[in-house]
Amino acid sequence: MNTDCVTVTTVLAVDPATAFAIFTNEIAAWWRPKVDGLFQRGRNGTLKFDNGRLLEIYSQGEPFEIGRVLAWDPAKRLVFEWRQEGFSPGERTEVEVRFEAASAGTRVTVQHRGWDALAADHAARHGYTGNAFISMIGLRWGDALTALRLLPLAKPEHGSAAI
Amino acid sequence: MVASLDGTLAALAEPTRRGVIDLLRVRPRPAGELASVLHMSAPAMSRHLRLLRLKGLVEEEHAEREDARLRVYRLRREPFVQLRSWATEVESFWSKQLESFKEHAETTRKGKRP
Repeated sequence: MNTDCVTVTTVLAVDPATAFAIFTNEIAAWWRPKVDGLFQRGRNGTLKFDNGRLLEIYSQGEPFEIGRVLAWDPAKRLVFEWRQEGFSPGERTEVEVRFEAASAGTRVTVQHRGWDALAADHAARHGYTGNAFISMIGLRWGDALTALRLLPLAKPEHGSAAI
Repeated sequence: MVASLDGTLAALAEPTRRGVIDLLRVRPRPAGELASVLHMSAPAMSRHLRLLRLKGLVEEEHAEREDARLRVYRLRREPFVQLRSWATEVESFWSKQLESFKEHAETTRKGKRP
C-alpha cells in the first residue's frame, strides 16, 4: 500500500485527447501561479512543457526546471518529475496525470507521489522532526489524506446522537 | 487524551484501521461488528482498536446497561480536525490547479463534448 502520495480527481466535459492536449500545450493558460499550498515559490512564472522538461519561465532570468517528463502518452497518461526550489540535486517527487474516458467526458486524476523518501531526506539533513517538519514539507501519508477526504468532520453531535 | 498529528497519521497508515474509521464515521459500532464487516478475528480487531484508542482516534462508549457486549466504539473529533488543517492545505493546491484546468478546458472547447 502506497503511503506517500496525494491524489486529486476532476471530470471535465471534453474528450481525453483534448484534455491531454490542453493540460500540456496550454498549461501556461490554466496554471495558477499564486495558489497557496505546497508550493509557495519566490517568483511567479508560467509553466511550459518544453523538449521533455517542465519549466517555469519568468519574465527575466533563467527558467527553473521543475523536472523531466518521464512518460508522454497522449490521451492517456503523463508523468513528470516535480522539484521545487530548495530541493537538493537528486531530490525529486513525481506527478502522474491520468486521462480516462468517463460518461461526462474525461476523468483526470493527478497523483503526486514520492514524499516519503523526500521527507526522510529532508528530515535527516535539516534535523526536522514531527509536526514542525510536516508543516514545512506540507505532505506525507497520502493514503491518510485519501481516507480523510471521506471523513465526516465531524459534527460535534455526531457521536452522541447515535447512542 | 491529546492526539498528536504523528500518532494520527501512524494510526491511519494501515488499511484495516482506515476501514474501521470509515465504518465509524457512519455510526458508532461494537467491536464484534467491526471485526465481522472487515473479516478480522476478534483478537486482531481488538489490537487495532487498542491502537486507535491509544492514539486518540476512537473512544469506547458505554451503553446504559453495564453490559460489555454493548460497548461501542466511536470516532473522536479532535484528531481529525487537527489533521484536516494541513491535509486541506495540501490537497487544495492540486484541487485548485485542476479546477482551473477544467474551467479553461470547458470554456475554450465548448461544443466538443464527446
